[in-house]
Amino acid sequence: MPGLDVIVNALISGLLLGGMLALTALGLSIILGVMRLVNLAHGEFLVAGAYAGLFLLQRTGIDPLVGLLLIGLILALIGYPIYRFLLAPLAGKGSEAAMMTMFGLSIILQNLFVLLFSADTRAIERDYATIPLMLGPISVPQIYVIGFAISVALIMAVHVLIARSRFGSELRASADQPLAAAIIGVNVSRVHALTFCLGTACAGIGGTLIGVALSFTPTSGATYLLTDFAVIVLGGLGNVLGTLVGGIVLGVLQSVGGLTLGDGYRDLVGLVLFLAMLQLRPQGFLGSRA
Amino acid sequence: MATRTSRAASSAPLPVLKRLLPVALLTIAVAWTSTSAKAADEIVIGASIPLSGPLAGFGSFQKWGYSRAVDEVNKAGGITIDGRKMPVRLVLRDDKTDPNVTAANTESLLSRDQARALLGSCTPALVNAGALVAERKKIPLVTGCNPLEAFKSVRKWNYAWDLFFHEPELAAIPFKVLDDLKLETNKKVAIFHDNGPDGQVVGGTLWPQMAKAAGYEVVQNASFPVDNTQFTSLVAEAKAKGAEVVLVDAITPQAVSIRKQIASAGYAPKLLVIEKGAEPVQFAEALGKLADGVLVGGYWDPSFPYPGAKDLATTFESETKLTFSQHIADSYAAAQILLDAIASAGSLDPEKINAAVAKTDKTYVVGPIKFDESHNAKLPLAMLQWQGGKTSIVWPADRATGKILFPVP
Repeated sequence: MPGLDVIVNALISGLLLGGMLALTALGLSIILGVMRLVNLAHGEFLVAGAYAGLFLLQRTGIDPLVGLLLIGLILALIGYPIYRFLLAPLAGKGSEAAMMTMFGLSIILQNLFVLLFSADTRAIERDYATIPLMLGPISVPQIYVIGFAISVALIMAVHVLIARSRFGSELRASADQPLAAAIIGVNVSRVHALTFCLGTACAGIGGTLIGVALSFTPTSGATYLLTDFAVIVLGGLGNVLGTLVGGIVLGVLQSVGGLTLGDGYRDLVGLVLFLAMLQLRPQGFLGSRA
Repeated sequence: MATRTSRAASSAPLPVLKRLLPVALLTIAVAWTSTSAKAADEIVIGASIPLSGPLAGFGSFQKWGYSRAVDEVNKAGGITIDGRKMPVRLVLRDDKTDPNVTAANTESLLSRDQARALLGSCTPALVNAGALVAERKKIPLVTGCNPLEAFKSVRKWNYAWDLFFHEPELAAIPFKVLDDLKLETNKKVAIFHDNGPDGQVVGGTLWPQMAKAAGYEVVQNASFPVDNTQFTSLVAEAKAKGAEVVLVDAITPQAVSIRKQIASAGYAPKLLVIEKGAEPVQFAEALGKLADGVLVGGYWDPSFPYPGAKDLATTFESETKLTFSQHIADSYAAAQILLDAIASAGSLDPEKINAAVAKTDKTYVVGPIKFDESHNAKLPLAMLQWQGGKTSIVWPADRATGKILFPVP
């Protein structure tokens, strides 16, 4: 049995890491909640964000955490033509066509990353990513604390945007009753386009954090896509605050799984939770809503 | 009306098929004839290697090594087969670091590309998947990048040949380094290894045995899936147990994450060995200063006293503008061995080529190669350490090119 300090360390690390996982899942959750689209290319948008952070640092010297909003904007600009030319023409043709389109796009993006950036393992090298934060016998990775703070701030900002702004009310209307929203004058296609861009922007920012904290390759996206599905099922499909709760619950329980069964069983814990939640409370902890 | 329409619709493709069938057959026949004609004019050798996926870092070096050996033979006019000089064509397929794809690619290399001999992929899971196909088809395959015990344990090979290091020797090196260089630690060892075939052999079995034999206490031995991303719990446990020697066996993405998570946990083991994943230069590029001090077993360096060793690294670096990897050497040597065997056989008969591979007894860029009854050729090992973005040999003393950084900075 590990000592108390190891257990506390693991739980705090799990909580902080869970916050970061929530950010990586946020884009997937928003797009699923509003557009009813299972974005199977979400993992590749995460990886694109990690590359954007890496090259921003290498080419301009801008720290990726300072440039997070810029990275989000770049990913949003990448997201718009994808929506406009690949997804918008499929509106009203069922969810399968759009989902398979995104699956195809994920394969194309993986190959594009290999072609453009090589298949090498990369990481964004920053001193603050490898420094521990010491609180007596407790030490947690500083980057987890930074990532958690950024994640909570961004998730709250997106929550406020959706709950308080005019765009948010249009977005909620489009998610709940797209036909009724269109009748009362909401431009549903525009809302979907902006939602998709917001989703890719959030994925890009989450991916940058992954690149700083861990490592990535052109094919890393698939691993995170699986974890992100567990996060949004736990929190509630399309529920922004639920994503944060889902991420934290998953992070803590994975850490408990890591402590008791070994780190190799973290993903197993996540997948068991994912299946159990679907069976017992499919609406997630906070219920499904955009 | 509806019935008539549907009948017409269902019978419509038949005349079309009848018209198209001869054209399709003709096309296939022409394609087959041209492939056969082409294959008769050249010697096709094939390789399925990881050009994408987590092992792409290894695959890029293999591609260069294989291509280099083939280019040299072609520049010299090719290989004489049945009294006629023929060029060699190397066909490479990307296995995406997936053994299923390696097996499928190997089938395609033999059936579609008409390869007469094969070169291997990298790591046991991939190499063995391709070698089993080669074995079934009775086509010779020469490979590096596959630890010998992991290769030997699969079956008694008849057509597959492996030149690489021997896991027990690799596993023993950290303890020899600690002993020979008189490095002081508390003799507590933590082992992290993936659950791939070589990870289980080295980390699960050999390191604990070697540690015990050398008087060290293994305070932790943790395994994880090959594609795991989080290691915080096992790092925290190793730190709590005070292990000053950490031995890791993992592929590069995981090796990078483990090194980062060791540092970000405030854990500073005195000796850190990361087998497999710390070998390619991408490891040091991804980590920068954090790579300094990490040790990895090595079977080749340009300073080794073998013909062409220094030139090979120099040529690689001038052509690619990248730092060399030892994988250029075993892949280059594997291709040379296969090409020498084809030349020696003077025939494209797989049985004759295979018999010629068995007779290999020559010093290549990786050292003297002579296969034993298990089809193994053992490469001698050294301990390398990352220092300022480059590797230095720090053990054995007679081959050392630098002094060990100890404890890990």
